[in-house]
Amino acid sequence: MATSYSGYMGKVLELDLTTRTAKEYPWTDEDRRLYIGGKIMAAKILDGMLTGHEDALSAENPVVISTGPLTGTGAPCSSRFNISALSPQTGIVASSNCGGTFGYHLKKAGLDALVIRGACETRSWISIENGEVEFHDAEADGVWGLRVTPAQERIEELLVQKWGARRAFGQLVIGPAGENLVLYAGVTSDERAAGRTGLGAVLGFKNVKGIAVFGNHEITVADPVRNAAWNKRFFKTLREHPLTGKQMPRMGTPGLVSPMQMRGMLATRNFSAGRFDAFDKVSGETLAEEANVANRGCVSCPIRCSRTVELDGQLVKGPELETLGLLSANIENDDLNVVLRLNHALNELGMDTISCAGTLAWAMEANERGLWECGLSFGSAQELEGIIEDIAYRRGIGADLADGSKRLARKYGGEEFAIQSKGLELSAYEPRRAVGMGLGYAVSNRGGCHLNGGYLVIMEGLGLFCDPQTPKAKADMTMMFQDLMEATAAAGQCLFSTYVFFPSMLITRPRGLVTTVVNKAAPHVGWALRAINKFPRAVHMHMPILPHTRSFEYATGMKMKMGDFMRSGERGYTLERYISQRFGISAKDDTLPKRLTDTPQDPADPTTKVPLDELKQTYYEARGWTPDGRPKVSTLQKLKIV
Amino acid sequence: MPSNDIPHVHVKLFGLFRLDTGLHELDAQARRVKDLYPVLLREARAGNPATTITRADIDGCVVLVNGKQSKKSTKLSEGDTVYLMSPVCGG
Ligand code: SF4
Repeated sequence: MATSYSGYMGKVLELDLTTRTAKEYPWTDEDRRLYIGGKIMAAKILDGMLTGHEDALSAENPVVISTGPLTGTGAPCSSRFNISALSPQTGIVASSNCGGTFGYHLKKAGLDALVIRGACETRSWISIENGEVEFHDAEADGVWGLRVTPAQERIEELLVQKWGARRAFGQLVIGPAGENLVLYAGVTSDERAAGRTGLGAVLGFKNVKGIAVFGNHEITVADPVRNAAWNKRFFKTLREHPLTGKQMPRMGTPGLVSPMQMRGMLATRNFSAGRFDAFDKVSGETLAEEANVANRGCVSCPIRCSRTVELDGQLVKGPELETLGLLSANIENDDLNVVLRLNHALNELGMDTISCAGTLAWAMEANERGLWECGLSFGSAQELEGIIEDIAYRRGIGADLADGSKRLARKYGGEEFAIQSKGLELSAYEPRRAVGMGLGYAVSNRGGCHLNGGYLVIMEGLGLFCDPQTPKAKADMTMMFQDLMEATAAAGQCLFSTYVFFPSMLITRPRGLVTTVVNKAAPHVGWALRAINKFPRAVHMHMPILPHTRSFEYATGMKMKMGDFMRSGERGYTLERYISQRFGISAKDDTLPKRLTDTPQDPADPTTKVPLDELKQTYYEARGWTPDGRPKVSTLQKLKIV
Repeated sequence: MPSNDIPHVHVKLFGLFRLDTGLHELDAQARRVKDLYPVLLREARAGNPATTITRADIDGCVVLVNGKQSKKSTKLSEGDTVYLMSPVCGG
């Protein structure tokens, strides 16, 4: 359906894999206004398709691959695209965000999103040129069975053969882990991954090895002059900000290992501690000094947070913080080279590094406690490369490990130390020293995710330092950050661009007067945050801390002030929860393992655990949900969801 | 000239401070954490004369003494290990 807004391509394609047919999915300008794009748009589409009786690994699980209106408009960090579907790990709606070039080329093909239904009868890969779909035999073409880099190279080779020339295009693929239905298999585009929640297994079940997209549609913007001028300024802001202009380019996300160690939030020995004695051997500083060869980044990004390291004479993607922490401190491995090897193996096999590493840590502890004799133990990471391979092909103990820590704990016991929420393993931030992050992990729509959980660690020690142990104001902060990040992702921008939300001075002068006042005052302003969260339209203006809204307006021509942006985020977040309710989700599922809620990290300090029940109730109140964690009808009506 | 009754401590550095100056660790004498700061600034400038690190940057460091979160006023004892990490994190 054509659109009067710029930035959008005005077409969503619904593809039925079973019948190999395609048709336009109805998506109106009213939908664009309410659901922006990306994951929020995907949630709305899934809302109309999911009844609560579908399984993640079934033909009935629809997959929505969507872009944001800013992708391809020149806005900084705007190359992201989103994949949403039921997750085989959590059984509920999940989304995973990815960089790379797929999103841009999907728009060049004339599409804002792809809705994929049914399942291919035979192993396939799909190409879409200017909206025209073609199915290819993935086995005959020698694509099935390949790891993610050779698979992408092979698809490129096939397309070049077909075209008789090289052309720009985007693609996404799954690796052997997705083919073999490892529950935490991811989807890869270039060297970026939609890693979390097992969406690679969903595509694997549908017999889809990869999708290539290309075309020559033009991506227009509503006000080219102001759009270009504003984005130039936005780029400059990012380059001059201490986090996005200095810290991230120099060390990438691994630069957090040391701060997390300092704050006692570096998950160690399956989250039984928050500090790792040998942390410097695997720190971001050491990685920068000894292993990083170059920085890489997604298209149109000035931050370039991705690390490139040399392994066996090859340049490969280096680890992110979560991977680095979970494959070192959390399994007591102090060998950086082993982390690099494991990270590369996981990436190439197409697996979520976080869930895999979390599952391995659980297995090590279960083995040492005699619950499951799998032969794995803390401190012996050398042998894990073979185990990871076994997981991807579901061989030996790999067949069990491929199901993740929640299912393993149900089978063998040890649920209190299965560090997951709703079936998704937590990332490397130990939440007993950042209780707001603990709340986020527990209530996050996609399970134990630091980003979907609001990323409060940035307020609790990794940026600002407002009392990490107090529950005060944390629920309202969590809601605000979740909603802002929800809208940012839906617009097509990377969440790292939201760092500019924090004025530079607060970051570079942590002991300055202003920062001290902010840190001290933050726990006492929950009421003010609650008021803004409740009436975001009161912020009916563009705010310098959020340049995103002007980029949005100049690109699309749609009115988008800060309040509108927040409300869109709230709508998306609540809508995902509303859908998941159909699958039985309520307060009982917003949990953390007992280790994190019942056992203080520091036995001498009883505040070093997550007071989850208290935090949850305040959070539900803030969101306008019932004490049982269900969005109230009045909330759904306010958000125009019903 | 530091006298012998001033504690000898070992300092390890983290963050951009370390990357900018190449300074990983040093031994020094100091009664309190903050007494280390002028030494650090001197060493940082010696390591990289072009460094833009200022005293205010060092003042903003997160401090750990023997693995415990500490302040710049924290008293030091003989043989302590001090971790100093320059501000600016995020991830
Ligand atoms: S900050 Fe990193 S992940 Fe985000 S767009 Fe830039 S390179 Fe990609």
